[in-house]
Amino acid sequence: MLKTMKTIPVFLIFVAVVLAQLFVPAKMIFDQEKVISKGTAYKFKTAPVDPSDPFKGKYIYLNYELNSAASTDSTWVYGAPIYLSLATDSLGFAKLHRISKDTPNHQNYVKAKVNWYSAHEKTVTFSLPFDEFYMNETKAYDAEIAHVKAQRDSVANNTYALVYVLNGRGVLENVFINNIPIAEYVEKE
Amino acid sequence: MKSKFIDELPVLVKNQVISEETASRIRAYYNSQESDSPNKLFTVFGVLGSLLVGLGIILILAHNWDDFSQTLKTVLAFLPLVIGQILAGYTILKRKGTTWNEATGTFLFFAVGSSIALVSQIYNIPGDLSVYVLTWIVLCMPLIYLLKSNAVVMLHIVFSTFYACSMGYGFNPPTEAPWWFIVLLAFVMPHYIMMLNDRPESHMVSIFNWLLPLSVVITLGAFLERHGELGYLMYVILFGLFYNIGKLPIFDAQKLRRNGYLVLGSVGTVVMLLIMSFNGVWDFEWTSELFSSRAFFMTLILFGMSLAVLMYLNSRQLLQWINPFHYVFILFTLLFFSGMSFGLAATIFVNILVLMLGLITIKTGADKFHFGILNYGLLIITALIVCRFFDTDMSYVIRGLLFVSVGIGFFLTNYVMLKRKKSAVKTNA
Repeated sequence: MLKTMKTIPVFLIFVAVVLAQLFVPAKMIFDQEKVISKGTAYKFKTAPVDPSDPFKGKYIYLNYELNSAASTDSTWVYGAPIYLSLATDSLGFAKLHRISKDTPNHQNYVKAKVNWYSAHEKTVTFSLPFDEFYMNETKAYDAEIAHVKAQRDSVANNTYALVYVLNGRGVLENVFINNIPIAEYVEKE
Repeated sequence: MKSKFIDELPVLVKNQVISEETASRIRAYYNSQESDSPNKLFTVFGVLGSLLVGLGIILILAHNWDDFSQTLKTVLAFLPLVIGQILAGYTILKRKGTTWNEATGTFLFFAVGSSIALVSQIYNIPGDLSVYVLTWIVLCMPLIYLLKSNAVVMLHIVFSTFYACSMGYGFNPPTEAPWWFIVLLAFVMPHYIMMLNDRPESHMVSIFNWLLPLSVVITLGAFLERHGELGYLMYVILFGLFYNIGKLPIFDAQKLRRNGYLVLGSVGTVVMLLIMSFNGVWDFEWTSELFSSRAFFMTLILFGMSLAVLMYLNSRQLLQWINPFHYVFILFTLLFFSGMSFGLAATIFVNILVLMLGLITIKTGADKFHFGILNYGLLIITALIVCRFFDTDMSYVIRGLLFVSVGIGFFLTNYVMLKRKKSAVKTNA
């Protein structure tokens, strides 16, 4: 009797732990889905390279062309948040509308991190947060090669990432080379 | 070992070394011990199995099966987690015992990690490795007490260390110290203290006696930011703390190989002092900013903790004033803050300090007839001389003579002690 009396509370706490363990990944999914369904899609020109993560697998690291902005404010420091309001250029790619240190009052912006400020060039350099695209382990390196090849064949950079943006968060949906999803493109090559 | 001893019993009885009654009592004792051991083996295999399966699942899913739909991948992300949770829940409800607790705990630990990793993979969620590992550990923390699983405690300590290192020792300057590490470590303390009180002789306790101080030694550097010079002082104080903890009755009563605090504290102190015995190291920038830094604050706390343990030892009359390992951290702290301006004097003093530690260790070894301690003392002095070998402008002849004399010292001290031990055995006989 005494034993069961102790088991029940332990089990109830365990159930709470179970719920927390389920809640965290579920919340991650929910947050991402919300941005995809309600956010605005932007195409960011990019260049992939191939590292890997011990737990999550192989990914391509995306070097975005959009990585700096002119600024006369010299107080930017490493790791500080920078808010990038976005717009679309004539070819349909994402471009910077303006940067700020505070949250803009519209929803089409991304929260990024400052890398450094160059007083000489009067530019602030930053990293976009959605820079990891997970791929099948056999395709990640091929993707990097495919990008370099496609680069040689045509004049302009034709690799871009499709990103949904909503209130500071960006969800990386897919990466394209010549308008073909990169996984399919690699298979064709 | 045990069975060999039992085999010997009839011979001992026959030769009237022990009585039949004593023999049967010895047999009964070992039989009662034996019923426990196959269970232990099962537990070890259960944990190893879960560990391998858990890691295997992470790797298989990390392959990224892009033929699967996103929904199927998401289901696969949750599947191991749910299986692990059901197994652990069943174990708790049915009170399945240690083996089940350890095995399901280990499996669930890895299932939690794999589910978060996989969701990040499916949705391309970037993020710091340290944040990911921290989330993972925090979600599994309660299992330590719910399942009373030592395997989970070990994983918890190892992964907490990994978290602190990946946050604090990065290529980029860390913006914050891994403060969570302290919380994570404090969380296992009640479990550890309970085990120390209940079963101080168990293997698990001796594993923790090594794992905990090692984890702190590895992690301490991750808390330093700009004022790296305080790191030297922090480590000397930390090793002093460990040495004094190792001298607490509960640890000092144990065998040396089970007392990680004492061994790490002693060896760590010697290594740190040897580093500081080079004159070039004492080239610090001495700014007032240092006294308001995080590192200085942490040094103060560490010093306070070491002093508290030392005073406790003193109040219980366990402090041997002849043994400078106890309080060398105090001498070094005084020296450190004075040595900032008198580099050379500090260097000489540290050299004398190491020499003193070596000599007193040799004396302790000789008094206790302990060859291990004796040679450890000789090793300290040898290390000091090797360091000076590379350091000073002494002539080759003098250095050569120094080495030869220490080498002879090794032979002589060991020989003299061996003789004394033999004569002591003779007089006892």
